[in-house]
Amino acid sequence: MYKYITRRVLQFIPMLFLVTVVVYGLAQAAPGDPMSGEILDPDIPAEVLEERREALGLNDPIPVQYWNWLSSVAVGDFGQSMHYTGRSVSELVTSRIMNTLYLSLFALAVTILVAIPIGIYSSKKPYSLLDYSATTFAFLGLATPNFFAALIAIYFFSFQLGWFPSQGTVSSVGLTGFEYFIDKLRHLILPGFTLGLASTAIYMRYLRTEMLEVMGSDFIRTARAKGLGPGSVLYKHTLRNALIPIITLLGFEFGTLLSGAVITEAVFNYPGLGTLFLNSIQNRDYPVIMAINLILAVTILVGNLLADIFYAIVDPRIRYD
Amino acid sequence: MKKSFWLMIVLLLSLMVALAACGGNNEEGTENGGNDVNNEVNNNNDDANNNNNDNDAEDSDGEPQSGGSITAAMYSAPDHQFNPLFYSSAYDANILDIAFESLVKQDENLEFIPGLAHDWEFNDEFTELTYQLEEDVTWHDGEPMTAHDVVFTYTAIADPDYVAAGGVRTNYASTLAGYEEYVSGDADTLEGVEALDDYTVKFTFAEPNIKALADTSFFIVAEHILGDIPVAEMAEHSSAYNAEEVIGTGPFNLTEYQEGEQYILQAYEDYWQGTPYLDSVVWQVVDQAIMTGMLQNDEIHLLNRPGGVPAADREDVEAMDNVEILELQDLGYQYMAFKHNHGPNDSLTDKDSWVPNEKVQDVALRQAIAHAINREGFVDGLMYGAGQVMHATFPEASWAYNEDAPIKYDYNEDRANEILDEAGYEWDGDFRTNPDGEEFTLNLDYPTGNEIRERTAPIIQENLQAVGIQVNLNSPREASAHFDRIEENDTDMDLYLAGWSLASGDPDPSGYFLSTAAYNYPRYDDETFDQLMLEAITAPDAFDQEYREEKYNEWSEYMSEQLPVIPLYSQNVIYAHNANLQGITFKTHQILDDSHLWYLEQ
Repeated sequence: MYKYITRRVLQFIPMLFLVTVVVYGLAQAAPGDPMSGEILDPDIPAEVLEERREALGLNDPIPVQYWNWLSSVAVGDFGQSMHYTGRSVSELVTSRIMNTLYLSLFALAVTILVAIPIGIYSSKKPYSLLDYSATTFAFLGLATPNFFAALIAIYFFSFQLGWFPSQGTVSSVGLTGFEYFIDKLRHLILPGFTLGLASTAIYMRYLRTEMLEVMGSDFIRTARAKGLGPGSVLYKHTLRNALIPIITLLGFEFGTLLSGAVITEAVFNYPGLGTLFLNSIQNRDYPVIMAINLILAVTILVGNLLADIFYAIVDPRIRYD
Repeated sequence: MKKSFWLMIVLLLSLMVALAACGGNNEEGTENGGNDVNNEVNNNNDDANNNNNDNDAEDSDGEPQSGGSITAAMYSAPDHQFNPLFYSSAYDANILDIAFESLVKQDENLEFIPGLAHDWEFNDEFTELTYQLEEDVTWHDGEPMTAHDVVFTYTAIADPDYVAAGGVRTNYASTLAGYEEYVSGDADTLEGVEALDDYTVKFTFAEPNIKALADTSFFIVAEHILGDIPVAEMAEHSSAYNAEEVIGTGPFNLTEYQEGEQYILQAYEDYWQGTPYLDSVVWQVVDQAIMTGMLQNDEIHLLNRPGGVPAADREDVEAMDNVEILELQDLGYQYMAFKHNHGPNDSLTDKDSWVPNEKVQDVALRQAIAHAINREGFVDGLMYGAGQVMHATFPEASWAYNEDAPIKYDYNEDRANEILDEAGYEWDGDFRTNPDGEEFTLNLDYPTGNEIRERTAPIIQENLQAVGIQVNLNSPREASAHFDRIEENDTDMDLYLAGWSLASGDPDPSGYFLSTAAYNYPRYDDETFDQLMLEAITAPDAFDQEYREEKYNEWSEYMSEQLPVIPLYSQNVIYAHNANLQGITFKTHQILDDSHLWYLEQ
């Protein structure tokens, strides 16, 4: 097992290298550069932009720029943002990454806590009233675009009922302790549910289908025949086996934990990595693009590794050596 | 900040929500809106609605009252560069504009009026400008503001390391005497700015400077805060983002913020023009889609540029009892340019290498095109009336603008056809040929990123084809790609859409219209055109503003005759503020001046 994990982690290195080469190449291939956004203001002299390009090394050949970037990243320096004057990339990313992590974890918790119980119940009593309503709900959730759900949630729960704040992550600067925690949590609820409920449908349907399929298999009949109680059959045998595809999905989900949800973040003005990523792509802010990309690549690789490890735990038939 | 692709979608959807919500809104509005708010507002609602073009709103209702705090909204987070020397985003400017001040500012007609300096005079040659500063101005930490701070500010902009450190404001220092020597490191001091005593500062220019007031109108920063930091490190120093070290002279002082969400500015009690009425101004970042709801709920009191109320939402916002709106022309405008010359890459300023683009050399053709485009339709249809057709490239508020100077091309298909017939563009099947009888197609390029501009492109194509000019509409490109293609040589391009956002300082257009200018994207080269622009800024005649006005009238007229570009329209900015928030001075270029006079009616 450990050997397997070590081997997988070592495989990350060439993989990450390839990812950075490709992403750097693609980012540079896009027309424009960090200075081209400034040309709409004729008061900024064109020579100044040229001088800035020179100072940022944008006039060097792309392989040289890539090498400069790579060699400083290798020693842990992600450099300076090219768009946000005077700000380092690590500062920009760290200011957003926790927000994104909170939001993703909250949304994931919503997804799991809603999807798994309903999924189990639906499979226990298929074609019941709850099963049908859950299915309806699931498709509604799938069909509603995130931003639409977000606006509706804001309209009812924030504007009409006044229960939850609609914007940001805190309501006033300077809260501390428990008050701060509660305030943060209140700000998480609307975006968290908007994001979480959308993917609930997928998990619920997956689990229901998988459960029903496992229930029809031979080993469940055997388990029943040898006199196991319904609870034991359901949770120990059926659920465990039905969870395998869910874990694959969760592995992917883990990878997107840090990618942020651009649209949800924007509607709720929740400053996360998603909007930072989008802005840096639009501004051609190469150092920020690359840093976020590296983070995403690492989490996706780790997510998949975790999924593989969990397979072995859930299903003893799977062995790694 | 182009976030338009999803913003457009969000906007569309928000429209749907607004429509869907409208029904329920009227019934529930009174229940949840809070009766106290509605009652209070009804009292002054009548004159409030008549206020739309009245700049002295503060006089219309009662006495100013002290106390209270307002929330002002912007759509995007600042870049967090709160050192004025290095800021570049309009969102940072929202904060800097009420925390920092300059020697001179501008009035409604964009003419210069006293700011931190109460008086100034030029020498006879117009090479020296001497300012007398207000003597009771203090920084937010209580230190007095003196002429040495002014010297420090301009010396920092001229610093050899300034541009490399991220600064882009060199235009404020480059006209000063000794700039070249100082920026190259050959001189230890900048000759062009000098403190004669604590409250007198003298600027010396290398040549007589017509734009001297505009050039000396930059934010003044504190020497005792920034003086010990090398310019090369200034942009990343804590004084650029740590609220406690962001020290200006303005009526409000940045005290705290939550990055990307809210920025709290407390009133500066010892402000030299008197303690502000408001206790604090909080800038909050909100999403455009829910802005209207927040205005309605009194959650935001003021909505500023960039953006303002989207024209599509104007009626909804106008209908709110607790909100007043005010519409002013934006300083930027959109235009359709003819690409007059082609040339090798990187040849923008080297006109000897240009090759004329024969397709668009004919003035008659350009005039016919101006008649054929339904610009009024853009304003009425795409902007819900919140905009104006441009005939000259100066904003209406500017002293350089004269309504009667340019020729006005109305939307007139018959006239366009007539001109084309006369010029020899004969019909051949569905379209016209060129005067030589050859097939004739114009290629039109346009960028994404501005929804209204994007929607004008296919209409322009349709308009031109209606008078027989075949237009090949290229698929739109993202803005940086679009401008890359304009800057480089793209011989397939005959027409393109673009816009300029103009700073208010000086109306001089030579930076982007002169044939040798680095921003002369249409690659237009015309001697008379250049000469008129240069005459308008050449000493000593140009020190007479009437003379300048006249030159700009001549230039506008000549331009409208030659049409190197067709100015299309400028959008209006629709500002919104809570009816209880009074005392705002609305100027075309700025609504944040004199924020110490803002007050909340209670």
